[in-house]
Amino acid sequence: MKILYSICLLAACAGTAVAAEVQHDHGAMMHSQSKLWTQLPLLKPRMKGQDIASRSVSILPQNIAAAAIEAWSNDLHDANGHRQLSMEMGGAPLDKPATGGFQMLTAREVQGDTVRVASTVHYFGERGGKNPTAMFDQVKHELEIVPQPYPREHSRYRANEDWQFAVRFKGQPLAGHKVVLETSNGSRAEFMTDAAGVANVHVPDDFNTETVQSKAGSHGMRRGADFVLAVSHADGGQQYLTAFNSSYGEDAYSNRSLTMGLGFMLLGMLGAAPLLRKRQAAAKNEEPSNA
Amino acid sequence: MLKNLFPRLARFRFTVQIIMLFVTVYGGALLGSYTVDRISKALPSLSCAYDKMTGDHCILIVNQHQLHHRAGAALAKAGDVALNVFIPTLMSVGVFFLFFFFLNKAFCGWVCPLGTVQELLYKIGRRIGRPLNRFKQENVGKVRPVKWFMLLVLVLGLPTLAGMGTVANELGDPFCQVCPSRIATTLLTADTEQLAVRTGTGINFFLGALGNALFGFIIIAALAVRQPFCRICPLLSWNALFQKLSPMRLVKKDAHDKCAKCGVCEKACPMDIHEIGTSFGSKAFHEDCTLCGRCAEYCPDDDVIQLKFFGFKLFGSSRDYYKARVKFETPEGQPKKRVIPILRAKENA
Repeated sequence: MKILYSICLLAACAGTAVAAEVQHDHGAMMHSQSKLWTQLPLLKPRMKGQDIASRSVSILPQNIAAAAIEAWSNDLHDANGHRQLSMEMGGAPLDKPATGGFQMLTAREVQGDTVRVASTVHYFGERGGKNPTAMFDQVKHELEIVPQPYPREHSRYRANEDWQFAVRFKGQPLAGHKVVLETSNGSRAEFMTDAAGVANVHVPDDFNTETVQSKAGSHGMRRGADFVLAVSHADGGQQYLTAFNSSYGEDAYSNRSLTMGLGFMLLGMLGAAPLLRKRQAAAKNEEPSNA
Repeated sequence: MLKNLFPRLARFRFTVQIIMLFVTVYGGALLGSYTVDRISKALPSLSCAYDKMTGDHCILIVNQHQLHHRAGAALAKAGDVALNVFIPTLMSVGVFFLFFFFLNKAFCGWVCPLGTVQELLYKIGRRIGRPLNRFKQENVGKVRPVKWFMLLVLVLGLPTLAGMGTVANELGDPFCQVCPSRIATTLLTADTEQLAVRTGTGINFFLGALGNALFGFIIIAALAVRQPFCRICPLLSWNALFQKLSPMRLVKKDAHDKCAKCGVCEKACPMDIHEIGTSFGSKAFHEDCTLCGRCAEYCPDDDVIQLKFFGFKLFGSSRDYYKARVKFETPEGQPKKRVIPILRAKENA
């Protein structure tokens, strides 16, 4: 097992050293390069290929010894809806189902009486994906962190936003449970689940000029940082630790100016103002005027 | 029963517009967050992908992305334009056409949230006594080519060139950056992010400033001009490319000599299509028509102007309908002053 673990770590390092990723900037599928900034288990998608046509995705487990990655597609009735991705040197290649959409990915490690699970979501922006709610609702492991919801296309987790995550054990909500957040920018925070087992997680605004990469995406979204949420629970003499990781971007108003936006809007309004003036002849006759 | 509920086509259309405004602006919140990650992703109306609650988004952002990320990149490789690069684009156009086939340009006149917002503003303009600025026959032709320019340059040209690396990457979706619907629909969800101008690069700033100024211009102009943005909307030209391929259409019979002299249908047209008064047959279904049906409502001759689907009449003009219609509103959209019965009783007393 230790050998397997070492191979996974080596693969992770090799993956990190791979040349810069070229990614489509739809927020939900962006993941930045990172060092091992946490001890919690992670699943990192790695893109290869310079454009969409030649792009491939591999899933790299980090801080977890897993022989395979389990993948659930949003079409659970499909024969290939739940599948195992076998591990290769560069990670586990993730095939793209015909319907695309959201893919839930998990890796599981059992050592003695400890069960550790890493989980993440990868999004393929293809048409025809089915509603992923059933996929998220399906019980996959004993202890789970489920995004409620996961960001849609053209959206992503961003600093200073609140997002909800359900924590459940064997399908039942875990109320009053501690959820730990760690980010690759160095933040750490704790949140508690409510009576429905849902934690309201505030994404920290911990970017600074060093951590912000200058290359902007085509939709104004920048490559971001990574976060991981983790929850642990003991039951029946076993210790469970489950983590969910994803990426997040800067604050929505970063590199934007609302004041200038309002200013230019007012400028446009002023430009149209002459249209509102009644012309004398038209006013006299109460007839429509001509442009 | 439908006739009792909707005695006028205008009321029926307004009800559809309000329902579609909710579906396109708040649909995700109503139908579930993912809404299969939007219903079609290729709607023939300006429903914005930047709206975090939208139930669906327009085809233009999809086309810009496909040209930017797929076609442009493939063209840059000179000869590596594989068929699978264009399949997604064809798929999008196919899905778009599935919708478009049934409703044709009624997506502009009945579904588009920005169209509805402009109509509501125009109604407010009537209530507060603002003038109506119309385009004369000799002027309207100067505005019409702008929608083609918007389509060819902002939706097709620049995204492809950005994908090829010829122009800056920020020009990958230039139409979305200037589209007033992006700001209007996100503001309707109380989200001010899109109103804030991007300051990251000069191009981002320029496009953002232009988009905000255009948005400001449109919302004020809509008080005194009918459908100001629709006239230059690239989706109007995009839809015009397909309008002859749908069985839903506007038809006008060559009824009699006086028909071309009446001109009421021209006055009723919110797009200032003067040809509706003087042209007949297929020419009456102009490229700027949004199938709102106002010309049919205000035509005083029986069945001269009709909305037809597969040859079946959905709505046809009639003298009786016209008489009832003008009691409520002039062809230009000015509501008639109505005396509240209780006040009339007081006056009589």
